[in-house]
Amino acid sequence: MTPHHSALETQLEISLNKIGIPPRPAILETISAEMKKDEPDINHLSVIISADVALAASLISITNSPYFGFRGRVHTAREALMVLGLNVASKAIAGLVMRRAFPSSPHLERFWDSSARIARLSGWLAQRIRNSTLRADDAYTFGLFRDCGIPILISRFPDYPNILKEANQDAVRSFTDIEDLSLPTNHAVIGYVLAQSWWLSEETILAIRRHHDVDTLKSTSIPPSVNSRHMIAVSQLAEYLLQKHSGLSQTQEWSKLGPACLQLLNLNNDGLERVMTEATEVIEIEN
Amino acid sequence: MPHFSHQNIQASSTDPITGFFNRAACFNEISQLATQSTSHRRLVVIWIGLDRFKRVNESCGHQGGDLTIFQIASRLRDRTQPDTLWFRMAGDEFVHLALSEDLDQAKKLASSLLDGIGVPLSLNNLTLHPTASLGIAVLEPDEFPHACLERADHAMQSAKRAGGGRIVTSGKEFIPGRLGIRLAHDELQIENKLHVAIDHGKLHLQYQPIVAADGSLISVEALMRCNSDQISPGEFIPIAEKTGLITRLGEWSLLEGATFARRLQSVGQQTSVSINISRAQFAMPHFPQTLHAALLCANVEPQRVELELTESLFMDNSSIVQINLRATKDTGVRISIDDFGTGFSCLATLKDIHASKLKIDRAFVVALPHDRRAFSVVSAIARLGQDLGMLVVAEGVESQEQADALFDAGVQAIQGYLYARPMPEDALLKWIRNRK
Repeated sequence: MTPHHSALETQLEISLNKIGIPPRPAILETISAEMKKDEPDINHLSVIISADVALAASLISITNSPYFGFRGRVHTAREALMVLGLNVASKAIAGLVMRRAFPSSPHLERFWDSSARIARLSGWLAQRIRNSTLRADDAYTFGLFRDCGIPILISRFPDYPNILKEANQDAVRSFTDIEDLSLPTNHAVIGYVLAQSWWLSEETILAIRRHHDVDTLKSTSIPPSVNSRHMIAVSQLAEYLLQKHSGLSQTQEWSKLGPACLQLLNLNNDGLERVMTEATEVIEIEN
Repeated sequence: MPHFSHQNIQASSTDPITGFFNRAACFNEISQLATQSTSHRRLVVIWIGLDRFKRVNESCGHQGGDLTIFQIASRLRDRTQPDTLWFRMAGDEFVHLALSEDLDQAKKLASSLLDGIGVPLSLNNLTLHPTASLGIAVLEPDEFPHACLERADHAMQSAKRAGGGRIVTSGKEFIPGRLGIRLAHDELQIENKLHVAIDHGKLHLQYQPIVAADGSLISVEALMRCNSDQISPGEFIPIAEKTGLITRLGEWSLLEGATFARRLQSVGQQTSVSINISRAQFAMPHFPQTLHAALLCANVEPQRVELELTESLFMDNSSIVQINLRATKDTGVRISIDDFGTGFSCLATLKDIHASKLKIDRAFVVALPHDRRAFSVVSAIARLGQDLGMLVVAEGVESQEQADALFDAGVQAIQGYLYARPMPEDALLKWIRNRK
C-alpha cells in the first residue's frame, strides 16, 4: 500500500464514521465466511474479535447476561463464541458493531441501552412463549435493529425530537403515520433499508418495516410471515414489560398494539401476569 | 391423502408471502418423496397456475397481487392436510406433492382446490373471480421424479391453452423434453447460488466509468456482481427478475451505491453514481420512501445519485409508476434513460421526460463504425437527446473506431471496455487517481 493510498483510506474511514452507516462491516464478512465452512475455526475468529478489546468485552458481557440463560460465566471471546454458538454470536456482534457505526453521542446512549435491553428481553421471551416458532437469536437481532432509523433521523432533521415526542404521545394514529406527515420517510423504512444492506433475513427486514403497523399484527391476509409478526409482538411485549418494571412509560405503543400482540402470542391476562412475574426476575438479575 | 412431515426442509426455503416452500425446495423434496412411492401409494404432483394473474398485478399493483396470492395460498392450505407439502414455483404457480392411493383421489383433491381458488375475492373495492389451470401427473415406475414434475407443468399448460379453469391429467405416454429439465436444473442451481450469496452477503457492486470526449470522468455506473460460486450477472440477474429477488437486490444496491457516491464526494470527486432500478422495484408503492431512506443513511447530496430506468418504464402509464417518477424527481436525484433505442418508445412521452442522461443501447454500438444506417440512427438519437437537454452516452464501447464514430455522430460520452472495465470501489479510486 503506498503512503498516498494509506492517507486516502484513513481520510475515507474518518469521513465514513462521520457521515454514514457502513453497509455490512468487514468483521461480519469474516464471521460469515467462517460460518460457511464445514468446520469453522473458532480460534481464528476469537483472535479477530479479541483484537478489538471493546467488542470482545461487550460480547462477553452479552453472553453473561441472564437473558441467554447460561449458568456459568465466560471470561474470553473464545468462550463467548463457544457458549453462544456462531449463529447467535454473529448476530450479537452485528448489533454491537451497528451501534458503533453510528456517531457516538451522549444523548443517544440511553436510546441504545434501551434498544439492547428490549433486544435481550425479546430473545428471552421468544424462548418463553410456547406457541411461537420464533428463534431467540432472531428476536434478539430484530430488537437491536428495530429502531435504528431513529438515530439517523435525529442526526439529519433538527425537528425530529419534536416529531418523536408527538408520535410517542399519540394514542390513535400510528407512529410512522405521524413521521410521514412531516418527513419524506420514516424510521421503519430507514431501518428496513439499513437491515437490507446488512443482509439480515427477509423476515427480520419485513418486520422492521412494519413494526408500528397494527394491521400487520391483526390481519392474517397480508405478508409478512407469522415469524415476522411474532418478532414485532415479542419486541412490543418486551418494551412494555421493561417500561412496566421501570415505571417509566413514555410511549403509547402498547395501548395501540398491545391487544393485537397478546392475541397473536396467544396470551390471556393470566398468561401475561405469569410472563411478567418471570420476566421481572430476569430483568432484576441483570440490573 | 397421506401427508408428510417437512421438518427437514430448511426455513430459508420458505416463500415469505405464502409460507409455502420455494421452487428450489420442490426440486429437492420430490426426489426424497419419490423414494417412498410404491405401487399402492404413488407420488402425485398437482401443478396449479393461476389464470390471467398479470391482470391482477396490473390493476391492483404488486401489493394487491401479493395479497391475492396470500389469500389463494390460504385457501389451498385450508383444503389440504396441515402438513401437506406446498411449494410456490413462480409468482402465480404452486405445486402440491403427496402420495396418493389412486388417481381418482388426486382428481377429487384437484377439483376441491379449483373450487377453493374460484371463490370471489375482494380487493381494493374490486371483486376478483380467480380461476386456475391444474395439471396432475402420477410418478411412473422408474420415472425420473423431475420428469414427473415437468409432466405436471406440461399438463397445467395444456389446461391453460384450453382456456383455463380446468384440470388436465398428464398421460403416461408423454415423454418430457430433456432439454427442458436441464434448463430448469440450471436455473435452479443459479437460484440456489443466489440465495446462498444473499444469505452470506456475497454480492457487491463494481463501478464502470462514463467518460466524455475530452477524457474527463462524467459519472460511474454501479453494476451488481456476485463474488462466490462464479455466477455472472448475465446468469443471476434474469433469475432474480423471474423470482422477484431483484427488488431486494435493487434496494440493497441503492444504499450501497449511494454510500459510494458519498465516499466519492468526501474525497473531492464531483462524480455521480448511477444505480440501475428495475421496473419491479420502481413500481413498489414505498419506492420514494426507500430512496429517501437510502439517501439519508448515506448522507449524500441527492444530485450525486442517478437512477437508471429503462425507456419502457417511462412509457408505463400506470399511476404508481407516474407517481413514483414525480416523487423521484422531487428528491433531487438525477434520472437517466437506460438502453434507449431497443424498447418501445413513444416520442410524445419522450418530450415530457426530464432526464439528465440518455444512454444508447449497445446494440447500435456493435454495428459501428461500418454500418451507415446504424450511424444515422445514432446521429438522430444524439441530436434528439441533446435538443431535449440530455447528455447522450453510448454503452458497450470496445474499440477506438467505435468511439470515434460515436463522437462523430454527436454522442457526448462513452462507457465500455475501451476505457475501463467495471471495478471494485478501491480500484476505481486508484483509477481516478492515476488519471490525474
